[in-house]
Amino acid sequence: MSELSQAGGAFLAVFRRDLHVYVSYRTRMVSQLLTSVFSLTLFYYISRLVNVSGFASPNQYFGFVVVGIALVSVLYSCFAIAEQVRQELIAGTFERFLLSPFGAVAGMVAMTLFPLLFAFVLAATTLGVGVVLFGLELHWATVPFAVPAMALALLSFIPFGLFFAAVTVATKQGNVGTSWFIALVSIVGGLYFPIELLPGWVQKISEVQPFTPATELLRHLLTDSPQANSTLTTVAKLAGFAIVLVPLSLLALREAIRYGQRRGTIIEY
Amino acid sequence: MSAGLVATAERQGDAVVNRGDQVPLALRGICKRWAADRPPVLDELDLRLDLGSKTWIGGRNGVGKTTLLRIAAGLIDPDRGRAEVWGFTARERHRRYQRLVSFLPAGDRGLYARLTVRHQLEFWARIALVERGEVKSRTERAIEEFDLGDLAEHRVDRMSMGQRQRLRIAMTFLPEPETVLLDEPLTSLDAEGGVVLERAIDGLIARHGALLWCSPSGEHLDQEFDTRLVLENGKLVPA
Repeated sequence: MSELSQAGGAFLAVFRRDLHVYVSYRTRMVSQLLTSVFSLTLFYYISRLVNVSGFASPNQYFGFVVVGIALVSVLYSCFAIAEQVRQELIAGTFERFLLSPFGAVAGMVAMTLFPLLFAFVLAATTLGVGVVLFGLELHWATVPFAVPAMALALLSFIPFGLFFAAVTVATKQGNVGTSWFIALVSIVGGLYFPIELLPGWVQKISEVQPFTPATELLRHLLTDSPQANSTLTTVAKLAGFAIVLVPLSLLALREAIRYGQRRGTIIEY
Repeated sequence: MSAGLVATAERQGDAVVNRGDQVPLALRGICKRWAADRPPVLDELDLRLDLGSKTWIGGRNGVGKTTLLRIAAGLIDPDRGRAEVWGFTARERHRRYQRLVSFLPAGDRGLYARLTVRHQLEFWARIALVERGEVKSRTERAIEEFDLGDLAEHRVDRMSMGQRQRLRIAMTFLPEPETVLLDEPLTSLDAEGGVVLERAIDGLIARHGALLWCSPSGEHLDQEFDTRLVLENGKLVPA
Protein backbone atom coordinates (compact mmCIF):
# COMPACT_ATOMS: atom_id res chain seq x y z
CA MET A 1 0.00 0.00 0.00
CA SER A 2 2.86 2.31 0.92
CA GLU A 3 4.62 1.59 -2.40
CA LEU A 4 1.40 2.31 -4.29
CA SER A 5 0.90 5.54 -2.39
CA GLN A 6 4.51 6.61 -3.10
CA ALA A 7 4.11 5.81 -6.81
CA GLY A 8 0.85 7.80 -6.86
CA GLY A 9 2.69 10.69 -5.20
CA ALA A 10 5.39 10.49 -7.87
CA PHE A 11 2.81 10.59 -10.69
CA LEU A 12 1.22 13.66 -9.10
CA ALA A 13 4.63 15.26 -8.61
CA VAL A 14 5.37 14.98 -12.34
CA PHE A 15 1.95 16.49 -13.07
CA ARG A 16 2.59 19.36 -10.63
CA ARG A 17 6.05 19.93 -12.10
CA ASP A 18 4.58 20.26 -15.61
CA LEU A 19 1.88 22.58 -14.30
CA HIS A 20 4.50 24.81 -12.59
CA VAL A 21 6.59 24.94 -15.75
CA TYR A 22 3.50 25.66 -17.89
CA VAL A 23 2.24 28.56 -15.78
CA SER A 24 5.75 30.03 -15.60
CA TYR A 25 5.30 30.90 -19.29
CA ARG A 26 2.53 33.44 -18.78
CA THR A 27 1.44 34.02 -22.35
CA ARG A 28 1.38 30.41 -23.46
CA MET A 29 -2.25 29.75 -22.55
CA VAL A 30 -3.44 32.95 -24.23
CA SER A 31 -1.51 31.99 -27.35
CA GLN A 32 -3.06 28.50 -27.44
CA LEU A 33 -6.57 29.85 -26.91
CA LEU A 34 -6.11 32.42 -29.66
CA THR A 35 -4.92 29.69 -32.04
CA SER A 36 -8.09 27.78 -31.28
CA VAL A 37 -10.32 30.82 -31.80
CA PHE A 38 -8.64 31.70 -35.10
CA SER A 39 -9.02 28.12 -36.37
CA LEU A 40 -12.71 28.18 -35.53
CA THR A 41 -13.16 31.54 -37.22
CA LEU A 42 -11.39 30.28 -40.33
CA PHE A 43 -13.53 27.17 -40.61
CA TYR A 44 -16.71 29.06 -39.74
CA TYR A 45 -16.28 31.24 -42.82
CA ILE A 46 -15.10 28.35 -44.98
CA SER A 47 -18.32 26.53 -44.02
CA ARG A 48 -20.26 29.58 -45.27
CA LEU A 49 -18.25 29.86 -48.45
CA VAL A 50 -18.33 26.29 -49.65
CA ASN A 51 -21.42 24.31 -50.48
CA VAL A 52 -20.25 21.03 -48.96
CA SER A 53 -21.81 17.89 -50.30
CA GLY A 54 -22.97 15.43 -47.66
CA PHE A 55 -24.00 18.17 -45.25
CA ALA A 56 -27.50 19.62 -45.03
CA SER A 57 -26.27 23.09 -44.07
CA PRO A 58 -23.11 25.13 -43.45
CA ASN A 59 -23.84 24.83 -39.70
CA GLN A 60 -23.78 21.05 -39.96
CA TYR A 61 -20.32 21.11 -41.56
CA PHE A 62 -19.15 23.64 -38.97
CA GLY A 63 -20.29 21.31 -36.17
CA PHE A 64 -18.46 18.48 -37.92
CA VAL A 65 -15.17 20.35 -38.22
CA VAL A 66 -15.21 21.91 -34.72
CA VAL A 67 -15.02 18.43 -33.19
CA GLY A 68 -12.11 17.69 -35.57
CA ILE A 69 -10.28 20.86 -34.51
CA ALA A 70 -10.77 19.99 -30.83
CA LEU A 71 -9.34 16.53 -31.49
CA VAL A 72 -6.30 17.91 -33.29
CA SER A 73 -5.24 19.67 -30.08
CA VAL A 74 -5.73 16.38 -28.23
CA LEU A 75 -3.55 14.59 -30.80
CA TYR A 76 -0.78 17.16 -30.45
CA SER A 77 -0.84 16.61 -26.69
CA CYS A 78 -0.65 12.84 -27.10
CA PHE A 79 2.40 13.18 -29.30
CA ALA A 80 4.04 15.97 -27.25
CA ILE A 81 5.63 13.31 -25.06
CA ALA A 82 8.28 12.55 -27.70
CA GLU A 83 9.44 16.17 -27.80
CA GLN A 84 9.28 16.41 -24.02
CA VAL A 85 11.53 13.38 -23.66
CA ARG A 86 13.96 14.99 -26.10
CA GLN A 87 14.03 18.15 -23.96
CA GLU A 88 14.57 16.08 -20.81
CA LEU A 89 17.50 14.35 -22.49
CA ILE A 90 19.05 17.69 -23.41
CA ALA A 91 18.54 19.16 -19.94
CA GLY A 92 19.90 16.05 -18.23
CA THR A 93 16.67 15.63 -16.29
CA PHE A 94 15.86 12.33 -18.00
CA GLU A 95 18.84 10.98 -16.07
CA ARG A 96 16.97 11.85 -12.85
CA PHE A 97 14.18 9.47 -13.81
CA LEU A 98 16.66 6.75 -14.74
CA LEU A 99 18.36 7.13 -11.37
CA SER A 100 15.13 7.26 -9.39
CA PRO A 101 13.31 4.31 -7.85
CA PHE A 102 10.22 5.59 -9.71
CA GLY A 103 11.96 4.78 -13.00
CA ALA A 104 12.06 6.22 -16.49
CA VAL A 105 9.14 4.25 -17.97
CA ALA A 106 6.79 5.34 -15.20
CA GLY A 107 8.24 8.84 -15.51
CA MET A 108 7.43 9.02 -19.21
CA VAL A 109 3.91 7.77 -18.64
CA ALA A 110 3.51 10.38 -15.90
CA MET A 111 4.73 13.05 -18.32
CA THR A 112 1.62 12.46 -20.44
CA LEU A 113 -0.77 13.41 -17.62
CA PHE A 114 -0.53 17.19 -17.75
CA PRO A 115 -0.59 17.55 -21.57
CA LEU A 116 -3.59 15.23 -21.77
CA LEU A 117 -5.55 17.01 -19.07
CA PHE A 118 -4.68 20.32 -20.65
CA ALA A 119 -5.80 19.00 -24.05
CA PHE A 120 -9.08 17.98 -22.43
CA VAL A 121 -9.55 21.53 -21.18
CA LEU A 122 -8.50 23.05 -24.50
CA ALA A 123 -10.90 20.79 -26.42
CA ALA A 124 -13.76 21.78 -24.09
CA THR A 125 -12.81 25.45 -24.46
CA THR A 126 -12.77 25.10 -28.26
CA LEU A 127 -16.28 23.65 -28.17
CA GLY A 128 -17.37 26.39 -25.74
CA VAL A 129 -16.02 29.11 -28.04
CA GLY A 130 -17.84 27.42 -30.93
CA VAL A 131 -21.09 27.53 -28.98
CA VAL A 132 -20.76 31.09 -27.66
CA LEU A 133 -19.21 32.88 -30.64
CA PHE A 134 -20.40 30.87 -33.62
CA GLY A 135 -23.70 29.34 -32.51
CA LEU A 136 -22.47 25.72 -32.58
CA GLU A 137 -25.37 23.43 -31.67
CA LEU A 138 -24.38 20.66 -29.29
CA HIS A 139 -26.53 17.65 -28.49
CA TRP A 140 -26.61 18.38 -24.75
CA ALA A 141 -28.38 15.12 -23.80
CA THR A 142 -25.31 13.07 -24.79
CA VAL A 143 -22.54 15.64 -24.17
CA PRO A 144 -21.70 14.25 -20.66
CA PHE A 145 -21.01 10.83 -22.24
CA ALA A 146 -18.33 12.47 -24.35
CA VAL A 147 -16.10 12.74 -21.25
CA PRO A 148 -15.64 8.98 -20.68
CA ALA A 149 -15.58 8.49 -24.46
CA MET A 150 -12.72 10.99 -24.68
CA ALA A 151 -10.89 9.21 -21.85
CA LEU A 152 -11.19 5.93 -23.73
CA ALA A 153 -10.06 7.61 -26.94
CA LEU A 154 -7.01 8.98 -25.12
CA LEU A 155 -6.13 5.51 -23.86
CA SER A 156 -6.12 4.28 -27.44
CA PHE A 157 -4.21 7.36 -28.76
CA ILE A 158 -1.50 7.69 -26.11
CA PRO A 159 0.36 4.47 -27.03
CA PHE A 160 1.22 6.09 -30.37
CA GLY A 161 2.84 8.99 -28.48
CA LEU A 162 4.72 6.53 -26.29
CA PHE A 163 5.97 4.65 -29.37
CA PHE A 164 7.36 7.91 -30.73
CA ALA A 165 8.92 8.62 -27.31
CA ALA A 166 10.60 5.20 -27.45
CA VAL A 167 12.04 6.06 -30.87
CA THR A 168 13.30 9.37 -29.45
CA VAL A 169 15.02 7.59 -26.55
CA ALA A 170 16.65 5.13 -28.96
CA THR A 171 17.62 7.55 -31.75
CA LYS A 172 17.94 10.86 -29.81
CA GLN A 173 16.18 12.64 -32.65
CA GLY A 174 13.60 15.25 -31.74
CA ASN A 175 11.48 15.16 -34.85
CA VAL A 176 10.76 11.47 -35.27
CA GLY A 177 7.77 11.92 -37.57
CA THR A 178 5.09 13.12 -35.18
CA SER A 179 4.14 16.08 -37.39
CA TRP A 180 3.54 14.03 -40.51
CA PHE A 181 1.80 11.37 -38.46
CA ILE A 182 -0.67 13.93 -37.07
CA ALA A 183 -1.21 15.26 -40.61
CA LEU A 184 -1.88 11.69 -41.79
CA VAL A 185 -4.31 11.07 -38.92
CA SER A 186 -6.08 14.34 -39.76
CA ILE A 187 -6.75 12.93 -43.23
CA VAL A 188 -7.55 9.27 -42.55
CA GLY A 189 -9.26 10.07 -39.25
CA GLY A 190 -11.74 12.39 -40.94
CA LEU A 191 -10.98 15.35 -38.72
CA TYR A 192 -11.65 18.03 -41.35
CA PHE A 193 -13.77 16.22 -43.93
CA PRO A 194 -15.71 12.94 -44.16
CA ILE A 195 -13.54 9.94 -44.99
CA GLU A 196 -16.12 8.92 -47.61
CA LEU A 197 -14.44 11.49 -49.89
CA LEU A 198 -11.19 9.50 -49.78
CA PRO A 199 -10.29 6.65 -52.18
CA GLY A 200 -11.61 3.27 -51.07
CA TRP A 201 -8.21 1.84 -50.13
CA VAL A 202 -7.48 4.83 -47.89
CA GLN A 203 -10.85 4.40 -46.20
CA LYS A 204 -9.81 0.87 -45.30
CA ILE A 205 -7.01 2.34 -43.15
CA SER A 206 -9.71 3.72 -40.86
CA GLU A 207 -10.54 0.16 -39.85
CA VAL A 208 -7.09 -0.52 -38.43
CA GLN A 209 -6.55 2.56 -36.28
CA PRO A 210 -8.46 4.10 -33.38
CA PHE A 211 -8.58 7.70 -34.60
CA THR A 212 -11.50 7.39 -37.02
CA PRO A 213 -13.86 5.50 -34.69
CA ALA A 214 -12.97 7.83 -31.81
CA THR A 215 -13.70 10.88 -33.93
CA GLU A 216 -17.00 9.41 -35.12
CA LEU A 217 -18.03 8.49 -31.59
CA LEU A 218 -17.23 11.93 -30.18
CA ARG A 219 -19.01 13.65 -33.07
CA HIS A 220 -22.04 11.47 -32.46
CA LEU A 221 -22.11 12.26 -28.74
CA LEU A 222 -21.42 15.97 -29.16
CA THR A 223 -23.42 16.87 -32.29
CA ASP A 224 -25.65 13.83 -32.84
CA SER A 225 -24.04 13.06 -36.19
CA PRO A 226 -24.63 9.56 -37.62
CA GLN A 227 -22.09 6.75 -37.01
CA ALA A 228 -20.98 3.96 -39.32
CA ASN A 229 -21.21 1.48 -36.42
CA SER A 230 -23.18 1.27 -33.20
CA THR A 231 -21.82 3.07 -30.14
CA LEU A 232 -21.19 -0.26 -28.44
CA THR A 233 -19.14 -1.54 -31.39
CA THR A 234 -17.08 1.64 -31.49
CA VAL A 235 -16.46 1.54 -27.72
CA ALA A 236 -15.40 -2.12 -27.98
CA LYS A 237 -13.07 -1.26 -30.86
CA LEU A 238 -11.41 1.56 -28.91
CA ALA A 239 -11.11 -0.59 -25.78
CA GLY A 240 -9.51 -3.32 -27.91
CA PHE A 241 -6.94 -0.90 -29.32
CA ALA A 242 -6.15 0.36 -25.80
CA ILE A 243 -5.82 -3.14 -24.33
CA VAL A 244 -3.42 -4.22 -27.06
CA LEU A 245 -1.44 -1.02 -27.60
CA VAL A 246 -0.86 0.25 -24.05
CA PRO A 247 1.23 -2.79 -22.93
CA LEU A 248 3.03 -2.85 -26.29
CA SER A 249 3.97 0.82 -26.00
CA LEU A 250 5.25 0.32 -22.43
CA LEU A 251 7.30 -2.62 -23.65
CA ALA A 252 8.70 -0.47 -26.46
CA LEU A 253 9.70 2.22 -23.94
CA ARG A 254 11.38 -0.31 -21.69
CA GLU A 255 13.28 -1.87 -24.58
CA ALA A 256 14.37 1.54 -25.90
CA ILE A 257 15.79 2.37 -22.47
CA ARG A 258 17.49 -1.02 -22.14
CA TYR A 259 18.98 -0.58 -25.63
CA GLY A 260 20.48 2.78 -24.57
CA GLN A 261 21.75 1.35 -21.30
CA ARG A 262 23.41 -1.59 -23.01
CA ARG A 263 25.10 0.67 -25.55
CA GLY A 264 25.89 3.27 -22.89
CA THR A 265 24.17 6.00 -24.89
CA ILE A 266 21.07 6.39 -22.74
CA ILE A 267 21.88 9.91 -21.55
CA GLU A 268 23.31 11.14 -24.85
CA TYR A 269 21.26 13.66 -26.80
CA MET B 1 25.40 -7.56 6.83
CA SER B 2 25.33 -5.81 10.18
CA ALA B 3 27.08 -2.53 10.82
CA GLY B 4 29.21 -4.27 13.45
CA LEU B 5 30.43 -6.83 10.97
CA VAL B 6 31.15 -4.11 8.48
CA ALA B 7 33.07 -2.16 11.08
CA THR B 8 35.53 -5.02 11.29
CA ALA B 9 36.09 -5.11 7.53
CA GLU B 10 39.43 -4.03 6.21
CA ARG B 11 39.14 -0.89 4.17
CA GLN B 12 42.57 0.32 3.15
CA GLY B 13 43.78 -1.55 0.11
CA ASP B 14 40.63 -3.62 0.05
CA ALA B 15 39.73 -2.67 -3.49
CA VAL B 16 40.05 -6.17 -4.88
CA VAL B 17 36.71 -7.81 -4.48
CA ASN B 18 36.20 -10.77 -2.23
CA ARG B 19 33.83 -12.84 -4.40
CA GLY B 20 30.88 -14.32 -2.62
CA ASP B 21 30.82 -11.42 -0.21
CA GLN B 22 27.96 -8.95 -0.33
CA VAL B 23 28.62 -5.29 0.31
CA PRO B 24 26.76 -1.99 -0.21
CA LEU B 25 28.36 -1.68 -3.62
CA ALA B 26 30.60 -4.06 -5.54
CA LEU B 27 31.91 -3.89 -9.08
CA ARG B 28 32.91 -7.35 -10.20
CA GLY B 29 34.97 -7.92 -13.35
CA ILE B 30 33.59 -4.82 -15.06
CA CYS B 31 34.52 -4.39 -18.73
CA LYS B 32 33.43 -1.51 -20.93
CA ARG B 33 34.70 -0.69 -24.39
CA TRP B 34 33.38 2.29 -26.35
CA ALA B 35 34.77 1.32 -29.75
CA ALA B 36 35.94 -2.02 -31.11
CA ASP B 37 39.21 -0.55 -32.40
CA ARG B 38 40.12 1.07 -29.05
CA PRO B 39 41.24 -0.49 -25.78
CA PRO B 40 38.57 -1.01 -23.11
CA VAL B 41 38.00 1.96 -20.85
CA LEU B 42 37.32 -0.43 -17.96
CA ASP B 43 39.12 -3.75 -18.07
CA GLU B 44 38.13 -6.51 -15.63
CA LEU B 45 37.77 -3.85 -12.96
CA ASP B 46 36.92 -4.81 -9.39
CA LEU B 47 35.92 -2.53 -6.54
CA ARG B 48 34.06 -2.87 -3.27
CA LEU B 49 32.72 -0.29 -0.90
CA ASP B 50 32.07 -1.22 2.71
CA LEU B 51 29.61 0.44 4.99
CA GLY B 52 31.04 3.49 6.71
CA SER B 53 33.88 3.80 4.18
CA LYS B 54 35.12 6.65 2.01
CA THR B 55 36.83 5.84 -1.29
CA TRP B 56 38.45 8.24 -3.71
CA ILE B 57 39.22 7.45 -7.34
CA GLY B 58 41.36 9.77 -9.38
CA GLY B 59 42.78 9.69 -12.87
CA ARG B 60 43.35 11.79 -15.95
CA ASN B 61 40.48 13.35 -17.88
CA GLY B 62 38.77 10.82 -20.11
CA VAL B 63 40.32 7.82 -18.37
CA GLY B 64 36.89 6.34 -17.54
CA LYS B 65 35.96 7.63 -14.07
CA THR B 66 32.53 8.85 -15.16
CA THR B 67 31.89 5.61 -17.02
CA LEU B 68 32.75 3.69 -13.85
CA LEU B 69 30.36 5.84 -11.80
CA ARG B 70 27.56 5.53 -14.35
CA ILE B 71 27.88 1.75 -14.25
CA ALA B 72 27.98 1.78 -10.44
CA ALA B 73 24.87 4.00 -10.41
CA GLY B 74 22.99 1.55 -12.64
CA LEU B 75 22.70 4.13 -15.38
CA ILE B 76 24.49 2.14 -18.07
CA ASP B 77 25.43 -1.52 -18.39
CA PRO B 78 28.94 -2.92 -18.54
CA ASP B 79 29.83 -5.14 -21.49
CA ARG B 80 30.82 -7.77 -18.95
CA GLY B 81 30.76 -8.04 -15.17
CA ARG B 82 28.29 -6.99 -12.52
CA ALA B 83 27.61 -3.83 -10.54
CA GLU B 84 25.91 -5.08 -7.38
CA VAL B 85 24.26 -3.63 -4.32
CA TRP B 86 24.09 -6.33 -1.65
CA GLY B 87 24.40 -8.94 -4.39
CA PHE B 88 21.76 -7.71 -6.86
CA THR B 89 22.09 -5.50 -9.93
CA ALA B 90 20.01 -2.50 -10.99
CA ARG B 91 18.42 -4.63 -13.73
CA GLU B 92 17.43 -7.34 -11.28
CA ARG B 93 15.92 -5.00 -8.64
CA HIS B 94 15.76 -1.51 -10.05
CA ARG B 95 13.67 0.12 -7.34
CA ARG B 96 15.66 -1.30 -4.44
CA TYR B 97 18.99 -0.51 -6.11
CA GLN B 98 18.06 3.11 -6.74
CA ARG B 99 16.72 3.53 -3.21
CA LEU B 100 20.11 2.53 -1.83
CA VAL B 101 22.41 4.33 -4.27
CA SER B 102 22.46 8.03 -5.09
CA PHE B 103 24.60 9.56 -7.82
CA LEU B 104 25.72 13.14 -8.39
CA PRO B 105 26.71 13.39 -12.06
CA ALA B 106 29.40 15.85 -13.09
CA GLY B 107 28.42 19.20 -14.56
CA ASP B 108 25.43 21.40 -13.85
CA ARG B 109 22.67 19.50 -15.65
CA GLY B 110 19.66 17.63 -14.29
CA LEU B 111 17.71 20.59 -12.94
CA TYR B 112 14.44 22.11 -14.13
CA ALA B 113 15.31 25.69 -15.00
CA ARG B 114 11.89 27.14 -14.21
CA LEU B 115 11.22 25.37 -10.93
CA THR B 116 12.13 26.87 -7.57
CA VAL B 117 14.61 25.19 -5.27
CA ARG B 118 11.79 23.98 -3.00
CA HIS B 119 9.76 22.58 -5.90
CA GLN B 120 12.85 20.89 -7.29
CA LEU B 121 13.64 19.18 -3.97
CA GLU B 122 10.03 18.13 -3.40
CA PHE B 123 9.84 16.76 -6.92
CA TRP B 124 13.02 14.75 -6.42
CA ALA B 125 11.79 13.46 -3.05
CA ARG B 126 8.60 12.24 -4.71
CA ILE B 127 10.26 10.40 -7.58
CA ALA B 128 12.85 9.05 -5.15
CA LEU B 129 9.77 7.50 -3.50
CA VAL B 130 10.41 9.04 -0.10
CA GLU B 131 7.55 8.17 2.28
CA ARG B 132 4.70 10.59 1.61
CA GLY B 133 4.60 11.80 5.21
CA GLU B 134 8.31 12.60 5.11
CA VAL B 135 8.54 14.55 1.86
CA LYS B 136 7.96 17.98 3.43
CA SER B 137 10.24 17.38 6.41
CA ARG B 138 13.07 15.96 4.26
CA THR B 139 12.74 18.89 1.87
CA GLU B 140 12.91 21.43 4.69
CA ARG B 141 15.84 19.59 6.26
CA ALA B 142 17.72 19.61 2.94
CA ILE B 143 17.05 23.34 2.54
CA GLU B 144 18.43 23.94 6.02
CA GLU B 145 21.41 21.55 5.89
CA PHE B 146 22.59 22.77 2.50
CA ASP B 147 22.12 26.46 3.31
CA LEU B 148 19.47 26.93 0.65
CA GLY B 149 17.05 28.91 2.84
CA ASP B 150 17.55 32.23 1.05
CA LEU B 151 17.20 30.51 -2.31
CA ALA B 152 14.22 28.27 -1.54
CA GLU B 153 11.78 30.29 -3.63
CA HIS B 154 14.31 31.16 -6.36
CA ARG B 155 14.02 29.66 -9.80
CA VAL B 156 17.03 27.60 -10.84
CA ASP B 157 17.70 29.57 -14.02
CA ARG B 158 18.26 32.65 -11.85
CA MET B 159 20.89 31.00 -9.65
CA SER B 160 24.68 30.92 -9.96
CA MET B 161 26.54 27.77 -10.94
CA GLY B 162 27.76 27.27 -7.37
CA GLN B 163 24.24 27.62 -5.98
CA ARG B 164 22.98 25.09 -8.51
CA GLN B 165 25.72 22.69 -7.51
CA ARG B 166 24.71 23.01 -3.86
CA LEU B 167 21.12 22.20 -4.88
CA ARG B 168 22.30 19.18 -6.89
CA ILE B 169 24.27 17.93 -3.89
CA ALA B 170 21.23 18.47 -1.66
CA MET B 171 19.15 16.36 -4.06
CA THR B 172 21.79 13.62 -3.93
CA PHE B 173 21.65 13.33 -0.15
CA LEU B 174 17.92 14.06 0.33
CA PRO B 175 16.66 10.45 -0.04
CA GLU B 176 19.18 9.38 2.66
CA PRO B 177 20.83 6.72 0.49
CA GLU B 178 23.19 4.11 1.82
CA THR B 179 25.80 4.68 -0.89
CA VAL B 180 26.64 8.03 -2.46
CA LEU B 181 28.57 8.37 -5.72
CA LEU B 182 30.01 11.82 -6.42
CA ASP B 183 31.48 12.85 -9.76
CA GLU B 184 33.62 15.98 -9.37
CA PRO B 185 31.40 17.38 -6.61
CA LEU B 186 33.54 20.47 -5.94
CA THR B 187 32.80 21.94 -9.38
CA SER B 188 31.76 25.59 -8.92
CA LEU B 189 31.46 25.21 -5.14
CA ASP B 190 32.84 27.98 -2.93
CA ALA B 191 34.47 27.31 0.46
CA GLU B 192 31.11 27.42 2.26
CA GLY B 193 29.67 24.94 -0.20
CA GLY B 194 32.64 22.68 0.43
CA VAL B 195 31.97 22.77 4.17
CA VAL B 196 28.30 21.93 3.59
CA LEU B 197 29.34 18.97 1.45
CA GLU B 198 31.78 17.76 4.11
CA ARG B 199 29.01 17.91 6.72
CA ALA B 200 26.74 15.85 4.49
CA ILE B 201 29.48 13.25 3.99
CA ASP B 202 30.13 13.11 7.74
CA GLY B 203 26.39 12.46 8.24
CA LEU B 204 26.46 9.68 5.64
CA ILE B 205 29.43 7.98 7.28
CA ALA B 206 27.91 8.42 10.75
CA ARG B 207 24.90 6.38 9.65
CA HIS B 208 27.27 3.73 8.19
CA GLY B 209 26.82 4.81 4.58
CA ALA B 210 29.50 4.44 1.89
CA LEU B 211 31.03 7.15 -0.28
CA LEU B 212 32.71 6.94 -3.67
CA TRP B 213 34.24 10.24 -4.85
CA CYS B 214 35.72 10.58 -8.33
CA SER B 215 37.71 13.57 -9.47
CA PRO B 216 40.86 14.38 -11.42
CA SER B 217 44.02 14.05 -9.39
CA GLY B 218 44.56 17.78 -9.22
CA GLU B 219 41.34 18.56 -7.37
CA HIS B 220 41.82 19.92 -3.89
CA LEU B 221 40.61 17.51 -1.24
CA ASP B 222 40.17 18.16 2.45
CA GLN B 223 38.49 14.81 2.91
CA GLU B 224 40.38 11.94 4.41
CA PHE B 225 39.62 8.77 2.51
CA ASP B 226 39.89 5.19 3.70
CA THR B 227 40.91 4.11 0.22
CA ARG B 228 42.58 6.15 -2.52
CA LEU B 229 42.82 4.67 -5.98
CA VAL B 230 43.72 5.79 -9.46
CA LEU B 231 42.13 4.55 -12.65
CA GLU B 232 44.78 3.70 -15.24
CA ASN B 233 44.44 1.65 -18.40
CA GLY B 234 41.04 0.38 -17.32
CA LYS B 235 42.21 -0.84 -13.90
CA LEU B 236 42.25 0.56 -10.39
CA VAL B 237 45.64 0.86 -8.71
CA PRO B 238 46.56 2.35 -5.31
CA ALA B 239 47.12 6.11 -5.48
